[in-house]
Amino acid sequence: MKKRQMYFRMITASLIRRRSRMLVALLSIAIGATILSGLVTIYYDVPRQMGAQFRNYGANMIFTPSDGSFTQADIEDGRSYIESADIVGVTPYRYESVRIHELPVMAAGTDLTQAKLTSPYWSVEGEYPSGTGSLLLGASLSEQFRLFVGDTVTVSYTPEFDGRSEDETILDNTIDLTVAGVLETGGPEEDYVYLQLSDLEQLTGKSGEIDLAELSISANSDKLRSYAEKISSSVQALDARLVKRVTESETTVLTKLQALVLLVTVVVLALTMICVATTMTAVVTERRREIGLRKAIGASNGGIIKEFMGEGMLLGGLGGIIGSVLGFIFAQQVSVHVFSSSITFMPLIVPVTILVSVAVTGVSCLLPIRSATQIDPALVLKGE
Amino acid sequence: MSLLELKNIYKIYGDLHALDDVNLKVEKGEWLSIMGPSGSGKSTMMNIIGCMDKPSKGEVLLDGVDISKESSKNLTTIRRDKIGLIFQQFHLVGYLTAIENVMLAQYYHSVPDEKEALEALDRVGLADRAKHLPSQLSGGEQQRVCVARALINYPEIILADEPTGNLDDANEKIVVDLFHKLHNEGTTLIVVTHDPEVAEVAQRTVFLRNGKLHKETINENFTGEIKFDK
Ligand SMILES: Nc1ncnc2c1ncn2[C@@H]1O[C@H](COP(=O)(O)OP(=O)(O)OP(=O)(O)O)[C@@H](O)[C@H]1O
Ligand SMILES: [Mg+2]
Repeated sequence: MKKRQMYFRMITASLIRRRSRMLVALLSIAIGATILSGLVTIYYDVPRQMGAQFRNYGANMIFTPSDGSFTQADIEDGRSYIESADIVGVTPYRYESVRIHELPVMAAGTDLTQAKLTSPYWSVEGEYPSGTGSLLLGASLSEQFRLFVGDTVTVSYTPEFDGRSEDETILDNTIDLTVAGVLETGGPEEDYVYLQLSDLEQLTGKSGEIDLAELSISANSDKLRSYAEKISSSVQALDARLVKRVTESETTVLTKLQALVLLVTVVVLALTMICVATTMTAVVTERRREIGLRKAIGASNGGIIKEFMGEGMLLGGLGGIIGSVLGFIFAQQVSVHVFSSSITFMPLIVPVTILVSVAVTGVSCLLPIRSATQIDPALVLKGE
Repeated sequence: MSLLELKNIYKIYGDLHALDDVNLKVEKGEWLSIMGPSGSGKSTMMNIIGCMDKPSKGEVLLDGVDISKESSKNLTTIRRDKIGLIFQQFHLVGYLTAIENVMLAQYYHSVPDEKEALEALDRVGLADRAKHLPSQLSGGEQQRVCVARALINYPEIILADEPTGNLDDANEKIVVDLFHKLHNEGTTLIVVTHDPEVAEVAQRTVFLRNGKLHKETINENFTGEIKFDK
């Protein structure tokens, strides 16, 4: 048998046959590695996910009319100042008060294909209306009117008095539409009914007016700001404004979050080291007699160091493997529950976690193992 | 030249003379018993001969080399190459099987050889217990594993400090029989014991008292044959 084989047989026997003791050390390493790999995953992955999420988190720029309302042409005009590669979506909105079952309801005429892009957090039961003839009903309206996906609803609109026919009874305009989907956002959108802009224009008999446009642009805040300034000054009818809440939080929240994660990671590493060092010290103390015996039958100090380091590093490796698995689960849980996004698996994190836990275990074993070499075989073997 | 020679050995702890001017020669192949009351310095002497401790004064010649001035690193090498140790409290590694414990001595000495280790266990009558952990062995069996471990590297000297101190009569006999076999094969044996019957089977017995050698008896009837019987 090779010396190396005996070496591995020895250190694995020590870990396996003394598992109740070693479990404590393994546990502390595994917990450390779990938190480490979990946090590092979050550190790298969540900002990526959140960046995408923030960018898509509704609009980050809005066009408002500088006076009354604007037209589709104004939007196109404004849009031309933005590099087309940066544009995620541009959604026009026109708001009108309509009636369903004789009750007044706010209707938004929009481009529902674009709305899907600028409001990706919308959750629709059923489907987005694909063409004209169908609508998207806010969830609270759906409940109020007991209207569900597939139902047909008559939407009516009272045209404004235009002063031409004073004596005529003003007749309501109506349009029959199918409920394609029910919109759930947890926000005020649930009180709206969303129509295709052309349906609303047909219903009201007025076209071309737009009250608001939401834009989702994939650019950093500096670039966004310069877009907004250029558009506001160049396009007469438009006021371009940044939706501050989203663009700023994107950068500051992430920096703060990362700093926090980094801090916690360092603290966890330090705690793990203390814990492993303490456990290893206990292991050495408990095995004083064995160490003395090994020295008595010929182990050199180097040999003792090699054996204990081997055990420590094996523990570190095992802990690292367990930790990278649990760490992924941990990161996934945190990500899903806190950030509502799931983690993408980063293969590199596995070898890194294992290496780091081996290194951390090695370093924390140094002192206890040094004290192991100080043990005098004669004293230890003397008696009970 | 004697295999081992102690010249004016002192071991002094504070003002306690654990060994006080001890002179002793042991020839190659000799079987020596050391007796003496508790605290008389027997273990102290064994530790010095076994390269686990150094005398405060004096020379220890092992194979003509003075080991009393060697560094502890060199002492480890000498101990590994020349000495086989047997202790009163067995001292096996608890998580290694009988055969692994024997192989441990081979591992530190040169290279582990499972077949040879099994042969050594066979010699002490424990071939069928090779895969047992120490906790699954009786005290006598554990001590026999220690004997197998001590003899595995063909040491110049086997040092046994109270090898039968924790054993019953039957196991004591087995261990003493093993000493007979080793002696017949030419191994030098130094055995510390409280038990006159164990001491008597050796060729020579020295008596320690207060760290001094004060008496020596030669076993006139020693034939090298196994006749120890209780
Ligand atoms: N490290 C030490 N420090 C101080 N005194 C010691 C030390 N080691 C041994 N002694 C003392 O040296 C004396 C001899 O001890 P030793 O262990 O050699 O006795 P022993 O003959 O083996 O006794 P026993 O039969 O009880 O094993 C004792 O008085 C002991 O207290
Ligand atoms: Mg003693």
